[in-house]
Amino acid sequence: MGFIAESFRTALSLIFSADQDVFAAVRTSVGVAAWSVLLAAVFGIPVGLGVGVNQFPLKRVVIVVLNSLMAMPTVVLGLLVYGLVSRQGPLGGRGLLFTPNAMVIGQTLLAVPIVANYTLSVIKGADSRIVPTALTLGAGSLRSMMQLTREVRFGIMAAVIAGFGRVISEVGVAMMLGGNIRWYTRTMTTAIALETSKGEFAFGLALGIILMVVSFSINILLTFMQESHQP
Amino acid sequence: MKPPQYRLTEIRAFYRANLALEVDELTIASGHLHILAGPNGSGKSTLLGILAFLMKPGHGQIAFAGTQVDWQRNQLASLRKQVTLLHQHSFLFSGTVFANVAFGPRARGMAKEDVQRTVGEALAMVGLDGFESRNARHLSGGEARRVALARALACQPEVLLLDEPLAHVDKESAQIIETLVISLSSRGTTVVMSSHNEQLGQRTESRVIRLLDGKVERIVEDNGQAPGRAVDGYRYAKL
Repeated sequence: MGFIAESFRTALSLIFSADQDVFAAVRTSVGVAAWSVLLAAVFGIPVGLGVGVNQFPLKRVVIVVLNSLMAMPTVVLGLLVYGLVSRQGPLGGRGLLFTPNAMVIGQTLLAVPIVANYTLSVIKGADSRIVPTALTLGAGSLRSMMQLTREVRFGIMAAVIAGFGRVISEVGVAMMLGGNIRWYTRTMTTAIALETSKGEFAFGLALGIILMVVSFSINILLTFMQESHQP
Repeated sequence: MKPPQYRLTEIRAFYRANLALEVDELTIASGHLHILAGPNGSGKSTLLGILAFLMKPGHGQIAFAGTQVDWQRNQLASLRKQVTLLHQHSFLFSGTVFANVAFGPRARGMAKEDVQRTVGEALAMVGLDGFESRNARHLSGGEARRVALARALACQPEVLLLDEPLAHVDKESAQIIETLVISLSSRGTTVVMSSHNEQLGQRTESRVIRLLDGKVERIVEDNGQAPGRAVDGYRYAKL
């Protein structure tokens, strides 16, 4: 018990003294996750909207594939992207391996199915009168889709937050594609995993606390925004 | 001679593989009030959906103002700017009343000042002046129906389609809507409205198209005479 209390005190001291190592990992984590989830939103939201609104052959297959991709093990995804960006891979010449860009690619691929699936669920649950109403008021297909998106914006926001939660807390992709390089690709999760295994429990605990604070803050912010905009 | 607003030929519409509408021939003249009458499930909403170009029939031809409808994207976009449907259970978008009523004018690329003026006029027509900043989701049922009607009117459509506009509204709203519908048709807008209340035809100068089991059972013209048929039990007089 004394060990945990002492580690907790040290962790708080690292946080409040703005320890460079701690905050470098926080910056990398948040930065990579933010870019990843932004790109995942750019690709995932239209996919979810398209699949949700349109009827086409093999729609069920697409939904099953999207669902299955949500359960993709992060290490396997990291492995696949590693194959692409490693020196012998098709993107090897771009020098992406062990850079934040490689982590963004991997985490984007991780988050796209999550954002797309949540968006799809939101669209399925949306009022079926939204699009016909927009169309009969003279809106084109694109404007109707934009109105539909606007009406379900809080659900889509939840989809993006779910994607953010997934990427900021994952280890596999960050470890395999980032390589845990200090002050460069070291994220909170890779640092927690590796530093704790080296006996630096207090350092891991400090990052764990920050990781939880970041995750909770985003969820609290989302809940607050949803409730304050409820009709 | 001006072509009819709609000419429907051999229309067949299906709902989950069941025949929902079967119209061999139907002409809807422009600038008149037409009332679609008939019980639930008689095909009124299906017909309105087709007339609004929201639902493509499984079979048949439609000509709109003399032009054959090919259901291609470009033509549909243009047609939907001329025809507006007020759904039976109208959906108001989240946001203010102004945002709702301005939706159609904005979709038509109307200038900002014109949008302001059009919205004000449309709300005044339904007796809701000053409602612009109200939250659309905080309105009573009757007010919401009138906002939906104002939103349709703001589009200044050539054809206004109304699905049961008088159902489930308070007496005041019903009176306003009925008066407005009559006024619009007298000013040259083609109005097609469905209603359970066939007595409406007695109070208005209109053509009543009665549907039953997806088919046109009878058509009663303004003078109360169904062409070539008896009109037992139905008398529709001019105002």
